[in-house]
Amino acid sequence: MTQKSRTSQFVFSCPLSSGLHARPASHLAEVANQFSSDCTLTNLRNGLVANGKSVLGIIASDIRHNDRCAVQVSGPDESAAHAALRRFVEDALPQCDVPLAGIAESSRSTVPPKQLRAGNVTCISGTPVSGGIGYGKVVILQKMTLPGNLGTQAGTDSQREVERIKEAVTAVRHRISEKLKYSLTPTGAAVLQADLAMASDALLVQKLKEQVLGGKSAAQAVVETGEFFIDLLGHSENEYIRQRSADIEEICLQLLEQVCGTSPAAAVVELREPSVVVAEALAPQQLLELDRHWLKGLVLEHSAATSHAAILARSLGIPTLAGVQKARLALTPGSEVVVDANRGLVVPQFSPAARRFYQREQQTLKRRKDGWSRHADQSAMTLDGTRVEVAANASSGEELILALENGADGIGLFRTEMMYLGRDRAPSEQEQFAIYSEAVRAAADRPLIIRTFDIGGDKNVPYLNLPREDNPFLGYRGARIYADHRELLQAQLRAILRVSTEGCVQIMAPMISSLEEVVQFKAEVEQAKQHLAQNGIAFRPDIKIGIMVEVPSLAFFLDELSPQVDFFSIGTNDLVQYFFAADRSNPRIASRFPARHPAFLRFLEQLVQDIHRAGKWVGMCGEMAGDLRNLPLLLGLGLDEISVPAAEVHEFKRSLARLRTSDCVSLLDRALACKDTSEVDNLLATHQPLHREPLLTEELVLLGSTSQSKEEVIQEMVDALYIASRTDDRSLLEEALWSREADYSTGLGHGFATPHCKTDAVNADSICVLRLKEPVNWDSVNGESVSMVVLLALRNSEFANTTHMQVFSTLARKLMNEEFRQHLLKITTANQVTTYLAEQLGIPLGANGDSSTAEQPASPFSP
Amino acid sequence: MKIVAVTACPTGIAHTYMAAARLEKVAKNFGYEIKVETQGAMGIENKLTENDIRQAQFAIFAVDIEVEGKERFHGVKVIQVPLQEALKNPESIFAKLQR
Repeated sequence: MTQKSRTSQFVFSCPLSSGLHARPASHLAEVANQFSSDCTLTNLRNGLVANGKSVLGIIASDIRHNDRCAVQVSGPDESAAHAALRRFVEDALPQCDVPLAGIAESSRSTVPPKQLRAGNVTCISGTPVSGGIGYGKVVILQKMTLPGNLGTQAGTDSQREVERIKEAVTAVRHRISEKLKYSLTPTGAAVLQADLAMASDALLVQKLKEQVLGGKSAAQAVVETGEFFIDLLGHSENEYIRQRSADIEEICLQLLEQVCGTSPAAAVVELREPSVVVAEALAPQQLLELDRHWLKGLVLEHSAATSHAAILARSLGIPTLAGVQKARLALTPGSEVVVDANRGLVVPQFSPAARRFYQREQQTLKRRKDGWSRHADQSAMTLDGTRVEVAANASSGEELILALENGADGIGLFRTEMMYLGRDRAPSEQEQFAIYSEAVRAAADRPLIIRTFDIGGDKNVPYLNLPREDNPFLGYRGARIYADHRELLQAQLRAILRVSTEGCVQIMAPMISSLEEVVQFKAEVEQAKQHLAQNGIAFRPDIKIGIMVEVPSLAFFLDELSPQVDFFSIGTNDLVQYFFAADRSNPRIASRFPARHPAFLRFLEQLVQDIHRAGKWVGMCGEMAGDLRNLPLLLGLGLDEISVPAAEVHEFKRSLARLRTSDCVSLLDRALACKDTSEVDNLLATHQPLHREPLLTEELVLLGSTSQSKEEVIQEMVDALYIASRTDDRSLLEEALWSREADYSTGLGHGFATPHCKTDAVNADSICVLRLKEPVNWDSVNGESVSMVVLLALRNSEFANTTHMQVFSTLARKLMNEEFRQHLLKITTANQVTTYLAEQLGIPLGANGDSSTAEQPASPFSP
Repeated sequence: MKIVAVTACPTGIAHTYMAAARLEKVAKNFGYEIKVETQGAMGIENKLTENDIRQAQFAIFAVDIEVEGKERFHGVKVIQVPLQEALKNPESIFAKLQR
């Protein structure tokens, strides 16, 4: 060992629950590759040794959660490399497990609905990885295999073959980079980024060269190297790593294509009609090459909720099932199938029974969505008439559209930093213009608050050359870096200004901590405006400019700040951690300082009041606003807007419409006086807005049903509860009802049946009434058929509503009464049913089922 | 004739009460005096007192689950039937009493 070259070592244990998989491995290799020192990684559990500069090597060493690993560094810049790697492992690595958008593995049961089972409809089950229902003809993609019989092109000139390998690697990298440039979703970009890292992997390139130098042709070298890695990864005990073999296969095929000049696999399939593509596994690029217009569903044999193709399918909104065993054998090419990725089913034969079921299903889904958009068309208003904007957070066009479909009044936070990550250079003004322009068009006249990029040392953006920091959240980030990256900011501001004429666009600056920063930011906006004006490009001169409130110092400078800005948006994630000096990524302390802590509530109350006193608008984005439990507190605070997760907008709107501002204000008062978070939580727990939902509404009265069997009737009623958003889990509700039917039929004679259950599957206690045109068989006590069905669903909750149970028991007793039954059979409109039942059961019409009793005070807030 | 009865089913939100209503109605038709205790989701309602039980000639258990406080009925002739019997054919239960 020379004096210059030193060796050192440290040990860490893998903090990631899914192990050191492709994405974190690519980050680690990236750090290692910044130094000339060698870096060796030894998995102390299995003794596997890897080159720390090779993603493939790291992956192949099968490092799982809590595995202890030794990192050995040796070389001229040993101490810098050691420090950088150590910092990465300690600070950045634990953050690497943040799942790509929507990889939540579904744990739903995939038992087909009773109606399909009763209709003898064959179903094949799978794991839903991207929801929705797709119809189309089966197109089978055969597994991509590296051609084994490629012929032995003589590799006489090994130097030339090395060159060919080099060129091929460069070309493939270039191809992926090009795709990356046009990747509009952060998810797609992250997936391609991992591919890119793999294509330039040190170990891969090394193996290729070794093969060629050993006398193989370039093509042979690619095939053998590919097989080597596919074998290596394929034998891993880790499912995730096994899935990566599809990625490496894809890359090798592309290399082969470059080397041979033609596409050897010819795997590209042209879709010409609505199609369901069936494959063993799919590489992301293969998926991207399918025509999205005709691609209606994907069925994969691999059980790969985390495969890159699955993630991508999700971001593209393609109904997808994974883990469908022997799908390629079970499904006939050209046959019409349904991919029900909501339930986790493929229906291989579109029989009349299946057709009937899915026709109804389509209507149900549409009506549920329409129900949401009814809320969407209305602005959210509390029972006592306070309007609050319910906006959504979004990071991509897809998310934005989802938010608007769910009824968002606007986009309270459109994050833009994703566009800057995982690429070689910043997105151009034109590229950004295209993205914002699409967003503005989708938002129409609704406010769209675009936040300028919020990037700091915690993010890996090579072209910004941001220094690694010990404490990036208190460091050089957000608006603080703008002075050093003016061109980047100018390009973004121009892109935003250019779309401002098309809708209600607003600009928001992140991580502002002082007046100077605001003044500087506004000057930048002015400059961008001037630039556009000089070039005769239109923009909105009075575009609104706001700032994030993430740093507590702003609260004490509002008199100075307010005249400078049009609005404020409270970003609670950072504000909470700065307020309590508690790192939110540190699980040991973060849970002790939640946003519901009374100290933080007091701070917020003062802040909102002061901003309003200054005559400015104030909204809230961040996790505190996204937690439905907090809604009464937020209403109490008097915020003008809350910005919530896109998928939950309609839930917030519905809940808001059940609350009374005056109650919320007094609830907040009591919360402010609490001593700790658990007292606040108890206070919130006594507040059960769901119990205020009426037991029965006209929506739940189905007269003249044409259902033809008991199964269809129950399905129809479950669907009605689903449409009314009283259940979100139909299979669980159905299961509860059928398990009750299994004891003995709930048909009780007189042509009446009363299916019922107590279940977690309903959000609100409910009565649903259905009258049939033609009676159906109910496996009834007396073998007699049923023409009137009264369904009772009670919420399984520790706050069970005794008043509702009382109503149920009264109704049950009434059903034994001839006169009552006759009346129900004769009644002609839904309104008459609800009126009659309200009167007979003593429940206020269309109002709260519980407000008239002593057990539950009319307002849970009043002391 | 005085009769006491208990109705109970596993879910306790519908059939317990339906059976109670049915028994009350049919007993009246037979000219019997009846008091029915329900053991449902809301717990015990219309609870039978010691006095009620002492005065009764018969106790009917129309239940699918164990009766709570069974020992109270010591010394009374108990007729136990599945709950659905009280819904399906309550008359037969009372007919049994007459024999």
